[in-house]
Parts: sequence; structure tokens; C-alpha cells
Amino acid sequence: MKTTNRLQNITLAIILIIFYSCSKDDNNLSDKVASITGKIENFAAPQTGGQGQPIGGEFSKFSFKTGKKTTDDNWDIAFRGTTIAVNGGEKTGTADEPDRTGNAGASIFSGTLAGLKNIDGLVFNQDSGTSFAIPTGSDNGWYNYNFQTNLISSIPGKILVFRTHDNKYAKVEILSYYLNQDNSNPSNGRYYTFNYVYNPNDGETSFE
Amino acid sequence: MIRIKNLSLYLLIILNLNLVCSQKKRNDSIITKKLSEVILTATKRVKKITSVPYPVNIISKNEIKNLGVIRLNEILNEQTGIFSISDESGFEGIQIQGISSEYVMILIDGFPLIGRKSGNLNLKRFTLNNVERIEILKGPSSSLYGSEAIGGVINIITQKINNKSINADTSFQIDSYSDKNININFRNGKKKIKYEFNGNRYSSNGYDINPNISGKTVNPFKNYTISNNIYYNFNDNLSLRLNNRFAWQDQDLEKKINDTNFNGSTIEKDLNINLRVEQKWKDKIDIIYDFYFTKFESEESIDNQTSINQITDNFFNQDLFRPELRMNYLLSKNLIFSSGAGINYDKLERTFFDRDVSFNSKYVYSQIDLNIKNKIKILLGGRFDNHSEYRDQFSPKFGFKLNISEFISVKGSIGYGFKSPDFRQLYFNFTNSTIGYSVLGNKVAESEIGKLKNEGQIINIFFSEKNIYNELKPESSIGYNLGVEFKKTKWDFDFNIFRNDISDLIDTRVIARKKNGQNVFSYFNFENIVTQGFELNYKYKLTKSLTLNLGYQYLLSFDKEKKESINRGEIFGRDNISNQTIKIKVSDYFGLENRSKHNLNFKIYYDSNKLNITTRFLYKSKYALFDSNGNGIIDLYDDSFINGYLISNISLGKNINEKINIQIGMNNLINHTDQNIPGLRGFSGFIKLNYQFNNQI
Repeated sequence: MKTTNRLQNITLAIILIIFYSCSKDDNNLSDKVASITGKIENFAAPQTGGQGQPIGGEFSKFSFKTGKKTTDDNWDIAFRGTTIAVNGGEKTGTADEPDRTGNAGASIFSGTLAGLKNIDGLVFNQDSGTSFAIPTGSDNGWYNYNFQTNLISSIPGKILVFRTHDNKYAKVEILSYYLNQDNSNPSNGRYYTFNYVYNPNDGETSFE
Repeated sequence: MIRIKNLSLYLLIILNLNLVCSQKKRNDSIITKKLSEVILTATKRVKKITSVPYPVNIISKNEIKNLGVIRLNEILNEQTGIFSISDESGFEGIQIQGISSEYVMILIDGFPLIGRKSGNLNLKRFTLNNVERIEILKGPSSSLYGSEAIGGVINIITQKINNKSINADTSFQIDSYSDKNININFRNGKKKIKYEFNGNRYSSNGYDINPNISGKTVNPFKNYTISNNIYYNFNDNLSLRLNNRFAWQDQDLEKKINDTNFNGSTIEKDLNINLRVEQKWKDKIDIIYDFYFTKFESEESIDNQTSINQITDNFFNQDLFRPELRMNYLLSKNLIFSSGAGINYDKLERTFFDRDVSFNSKYVYSQIDLNIKNKIKILLGGRFDNHSEYRDQFSPKFGFKLNISEFISVKGSIGYGFKSPDFRQLYFNFTNSTIGYSVLGNKVAESEIGKLKNEGQIINIFFSEKNIYNELKPESSIGYNLGVEFKKTKWDFDFNIFRNDISDLIDTRVIARKKNGQNVFSYFNFENIVTQGFELNYKYKLTKSLTLNLGYQYLLSFDKEKKESINRGEIFGRDNISNQTIKIKVSDYFGLENRSKHNLNFKIYYDSNKLNITTRFLYKSKYALFDSNGNGIIDLYDDSFINGYLISNISLGKNINEKINIQIGMNNLINHTDQNIPGLRGFSGFIKLNYQFNNQI
């Protein structure tokens, strides 16, 4: 027993040393890539229907890896109107939804974008037969709908955290739902502007 | 230090001497006639205003006349700490001590007016034609008036004839918008019987603040009010009174449905009938029997309805019948005991209700009015309400007034106020046809959610169902007022600190999500708010005919839980430039919507026998309309603020002879308008002619 304990301690120590030295050398060796910070402006998310009619239209897919709109199966999240889908789980049952081919998931964190350091304690949901991982409806998910002004505003302090289709992590703060962030006219809607931080390293859960 | 102290002391003495001197001088030349004003609202009995321990305001007939105002909202809006303001529903109502209009009771001769829309009672409905005075009692007054009297009570006292005479008067007023107001009044007083007729017609072309938006800000309307009052004195100890009032309004309606404009009209009808028998027993006991009935009907209808079937007429019909018996017993010269009991039968039918709903409630109240050596005055009262829809309420109130000297007195009060859940909060069943969300009253939520569930329309329910269907509690408050009054021959000053702790406010919350992604809302008791601040009024009689008046209210308002959340760092805002999330600090929290911190008014009255001029300046500091960034509070990062603004009004009246009086005036001289203040019309001028027929017997 004693020897095993000792052995364990030594292994632990060695592992720690290796781990420590690795991370120290990271910047130089560049086998680990730094997190990517980006801002996407005016990402169009059109939809058909609404106002009592059935909602439809193709989702606009986005890949954190490329930082761009994509049309292939390697998408992570997708937008249509105020609805956000993730590439994980199954179709919720609305019209024109894309197939979920990956293992993406979503969680909502309360705080600032910079304040979220890692995914500890967050629970990730996937789209399912009954609902989207990011809940729809005013004040349920990321936005608030004001009946007086008919404006959609991204709720301050709601940080969307995503597991990508290939098990990496990204955090997103939606800044605006309007073209050029100009909400003076509701018809400017369905254009997302958001900040994001994406950690491209396999198995890493921190955004530092 | 000592020097400064001494200096200031000298200064004070000099100032005081000056004041005393000037007073003496003026006193000789001025005949100061101090009318001993009375108030009914504070005790449901005629009482000298100087012995009431609560904060009260009286607006006299003379002031109403001199200002040239026509409707009730106009005159109230010029009082310190009172605002006529439209809330997020778009309906306008009166705010007192920072408490919104849902919680302010409006009475006509002691009985409540009904017909609230989204909680607001539109005071433009009421003419000032035959108003004798308006009494405003601030602070919770449920101890006498029951539900709704959280913020205070506004009592419109109509004119009563008390002398033997026949007289009549008529007036015509027209303004630069071609709005017309016509009054016709007739009184015939005999020894035993007195009769009075009042008629008013008010027509408006409406107005448009923002021509860029289709439709007018206020649509044209015509409003008619007639009232008949009959008094009969059987003998010195028994009298009967029958008052009735009927008002009818027809306002144009424009509605946009699916990009098509429809025209129609909104008709509102208002009926109040009060039968009162007053009986005196040996000068010691007064007994008053009251029967009050009121009805309010409102209907929106669209022309050419046949072509479109999706538009349904909106209607709202409410009835209230209240018999009340009360008694005042003069136990001794300095002790009066009053008590009363009554029953309310309240009924409502309207669109978006499954069925007609009715409430009934019984109440009993008592009050002790004690006067100790003319030094200390005490009012102690309480009321018990038993209601068919919610738990019993007991509302106590205590007030004292201490006369420190002939000129200085201190008064304080503490009272309980409540508002029972209204019909809408209990029985509303509404689904928005364009967006698809639903709002369900507390009493119908369970069955409706069940229905939706069976239809497979519900994705999930957010609360445990037990919590959703919990009975709604009345909203309640405890109000504190502490003030000091100085009354000199030339000047009056009063200062009052107030705080209202309001609990269990009812608001909507999401209870479930529907398959179409939209929410189902229901009503809950969950907010606890505070309004606090102080009010001061200073009146200075410069000369016999010139008076200056200064009023100011400082107001803070906040939601207790929201403030704690901010302290815990749980509420975020959005930077106006970068749009990035930032943590909200307590100093960023602006308080509740539609509340200005500062409210100031300055009035100059000139009144000689022949000529009167009144000039008023009213200032309201910045306030916010709603939370615009979705974090549930009003903070400095919101963009729905209305900047502080100043309104000034002036009116001038001249008696041409004993019979003819002519008045001209200008309102909103600075021509301040804002599309977010729909109730504020741009500059207008008016002229009014008044003719008095007198025939003293």
C-alpha cells in the first residue's frame, strides 16, 4: 500500500511537472493555438412567415472554426429570425430545419463576456424534438421583446456558451439584432452582430 | 467660528425684525380674511382643514375659475406632486407620491368613479363645470375607503346651493384648436326644496404631435355631461338629496389591422346616481343613508364591419351598486365617534372575458376623532373588508396633529392601504392574434393551461403548477407621513416627508411556453416597491391682491428586490456605444418608470375685484418610459428617457360688469411637445365668456 501511494505521488508529480512545463512552452512551441476573439457584424438571419403565420426559411449556419457563414455540415450554430439552432441533437419540428450532424450544445451564462473564464458548472443542452437548446420567446433565452416598441433587444448579461459540432467551446455575446446595430426601425431586424471567443484546442474548456 | 456664528445670529435677528416690521405695516392695511376651509374626505365628515393630521390639498372653485381649465386632469396636473401621466398601456391617469393611478381612488361627492382601463381612470372624462372644490388626501386611506386608496384619494365635491335664490349662468370657451366648451347651469333654491341643473358640452378636434406617424395623437371627440341635483328639507333634522350625473362621449377611432386602416368610434357612457337621507338626532347624532349606483360603458366599433370578420367590437361594461349607512356621534365637544357599514356589488362584462364576473364585498369602519385642549388632535380609525374573491382585509390608520404654537404645528400619520386584485388580473383570457402570446387571469389560468395542454400547444410549464394557481393576494402598503406647518398672516409653509412601502404588487410573469415559441403570461404577487421623498409648499401674500406660490416634490422610487440584485452584481446593462455588457451599479439604477425626481411649480396669482391674472410655471425633471435594454430595470443605459421640461400657462380674467366676465389665456407658452408625451398639447390660446343671470328672491 505504502509503495503504491508513493508511486502515485511520484507519477502525479511528474505529470504536474510535464504539464506545467508544457503550458509554459506553449507560446513558443505553438502546438496549442490561442483562443480566437472575433466580432461578426450584420450576420443575416432571414425567415419567412411569422406574425401568426408558420415560420419557415433556411437557417443561416455559422462555423466558429472559419469564423464565417457556411453551408456544409460542419456548422456549429444557425440563425433564423430570433431562433438559434445548434448542430447537435435533433430537429425541433419547425419547417426547413437543417439536419443535426454534430455534437453541439448550448448553455446560457449570466455575466459579462470577459467574466466567463471557463465552462465549469455549465450544463449544455441540445436541440430536441420539443425545444431549441437556446429557448425561444421573449425573456426565455437571449432576447427581450418590447410590445410597446416592437423591438428585440439582446438581454444584457446573457452570454451564450456553445459546444461546437466537434466538441470545442465558444462563448458569444449578441450585441444587436439590427442592421448596423440601428434599431430605430424594426424592419432593420434579423441582422446579428455578436462578439465571440472560440477556443480551437481539443478538450480545452477555458477561454483564457 | 464664533464670529461667523455671531454674524449669522445678527443676520437672523435683523431678518426677523424686518419680517415682523413689514408684517405689522401690512397688517394695518390689509384685511386678511382667512376662510376656515373645510375638508370632507379626511373623515367623511365636514372637518376644518387645520385640524386634519394628514397631508391634504384643496383646490378651490376660485382657482378653477381663474385658471380657465376645463377638465379634471388639467387642474390636478398643476398641483405639487401630482401628475397626469400615461403609462405603458397608453392610458392616462394620476400619480400621487410616486404611486401610479391604479392605486389612487377618485371620488365624486364621496363615491368612487369606475371605468378604469388598464387600471387608469381617464380624468379627461370629467368636466370642472359644477365643481365646488377638489380635495386631495395623500397617503394610504383604506381605513375609510377600502380598496384602491393606496396612494391617496381625490374627491370632487360638486357645487351645492344653500341659499334661497334663482340663478343661472352660462359660459362659452373656444381655443386656438377650435375646441369648444359650453356650460349651462341653473339653480333654484326655495325654503324646502332646491333644484340644480348643470350641463356641459366639450368638443375637441383632437391634435397631432407627430405628423410623420399616421393618425392623430388624440382623435376628435364630443363629450356631454348633465347633472341634476334635488334637495329636500323635511325639517331641520331630516333631509333628502338626489344627485345624478350622466356623461356621454363619442370619439373617433382609427385602427390599423394588417396594414389596412379602419375607422370607427369609441362611445363611453358614465352614470352616477346617489340618493342620500340625512337625519339628525338631538344635535348629537347624525345618520346618513346612502344609495349609490354607477355604471360605465365603453364600446369600440368599426364602420363597415361586414367586409372584415376578424375585427370584433371591443366592449367594457361595469356596474357598481353600494348602499352605505354611517353615523357620527358627538360624545363630547372634543370627542366624535364615527362608524359606517356598506356593501359593494360590482359587475363587469367585457371582451376577452369568458363570462360576466361579479364581486361583492361588505365593509365596516370606525373612527375616533379626539381633540385635547385644542393642542393635540388625534384621528384613529380602521376598516374591515370582507370580499368574495380574496381574504379579509383590516386597514388601520392613525394620525396626530400637535399645535406647538399659534403658528407652528407638527403632524404625522401612519396608515395601511390595499388594492384588491381587479377583474382583469383574475379573469382575463386573451391571446394576441398577430404575435401569439397569451395572458391569463389568475382564476382562469388553471383551466386554460389545461385546455392548451390537451391541445398539445404547451412545450413546458415554468413553475410548479401549485404556485401558478395560488390565490392572488391584495396589493398592500404602509404609508408614513410626517410634516410641519407654519401659518402666518402673510405666508404659509408646509413640509411633509413621506414613505410608502408597497408589497405584493401584481404583475405578469411567464408561466408557460407554447409550441409557437410564444409565452403564456399570468398574474402574480411579486414586486415590492418603495416610494419616498418630501413635498413642500410655500405661499407668500405679497400684497392684498398678489400671491406667490412655490411647490416642490422630491421623489425616490425603487423596487426592493431589483436593488438587491444590483447589489449582488446580478443585473447587467449594455454600453450605449459598444453595445457590450456591463455590470449595473446602484448609482446607475434610475428607479421606477414614469417617475421624475424633481417636480417644481411656481405660481403668481394676481386677484383684485375686477381683474385676475394667474401665471404658472410647472417643471418636471427627467423620467423614463420603460426598460429599453431588456434587463428589467430602468438604468442610465436605457434610451427611453424623457428629458426634464417646463410648461407655462397664463390666464387673465376681467369682470366687465356684474353679469359679464371675460377671460383669455395661453397654455403651454413655450410650445413644448414630445411624441412620447401624448397628453401634452402644443401652444394654445383661449377665450372664455361667462354670463351670470342673477335673481335674488
